[in-house]
Amino acid sequence: MADRYQYLVLMAACVLITLPLEFVLRARIYRRPRRYLVALLPVVVVFSIWDVVAIAREHWWYSPAYTTGVILPAGLPLEELVFFVVIPTCGLLTYEAVGTVLGWVRGWRGRARQAPDRQGRARQARPRHGGAP
Amino acid sequence: MREYTVWSAVAVLVVVALEALWLRTGLFGKAQYWIAMAIVFAFQCLVDGWLTKLSAPIVLYAQDHMLGVRAPWDIPVEDFAFGFAMVTLALLVWEARRDQPE
Repeated sequence: MADRYQYLVLMAACVLITLPLEFVLRARIYRRPRRYLVALLPVVVVFSIWDVVAIAREHWWYSPAYTTGVILPAGLPLEELVFFVVIPTCGLLTYEAVGTVLGWVRGWRGRARQAPDRQGRARQARPRHGGAP
Repeated sequence: MREYTVWSAVAVLVVVALEALWLRTGLFGKAQYWIAMAIVFAFQCLVDGWLTKLSAPIVLYAQDHMLGVRAPWDIPVEDFAFGFAMVTLALLVWEARRDQPE
């Protein structure tokens, strides 16, 4: 009986697994709600229309055993609307999280590049102060 | 006609054209994008693999609208074009709105 929620549970798992990206890896998607909604809107509209047409033309359909059976207007299953929100959100979180990590890597590299400079300067300074042995 | 095959290929072309002709965000030139898409691809295999597994499918497909190539596991190859277009569209609009108030 709980099997009817399988699709929704899978989507919930996607939300939970990617949640640390928002906070630990500072993706800041949910915390930029206006930009987030603007990014989401075309995807949800376009892919919902695609889904409705594809269902009508019998390209694919959904197992009644693993879905709730809740059908939204135009014949869109609830799970599909959730899918078109959740998966692009995971994509946005991943993209910004990768950006954060790349920023850290660039920071480390920058410091690594500065380190030999400091040594170089120190080496030049030595003869000035103590003279060469 | 294999409509899912055609439509998913067209979706990829439309998204690429959207960037090339209109949005011009520079997304396709960023390592950040390609690394993120590689991670998305890996997780798509897990999630889509669960949705499409033939032993207990959540989504079922009409054989005559697809190529019939299913990998890894039972994922229709068209799903990867679908997923690419969907995630890329979101990222393109996200990038295009870089300067908008949060």
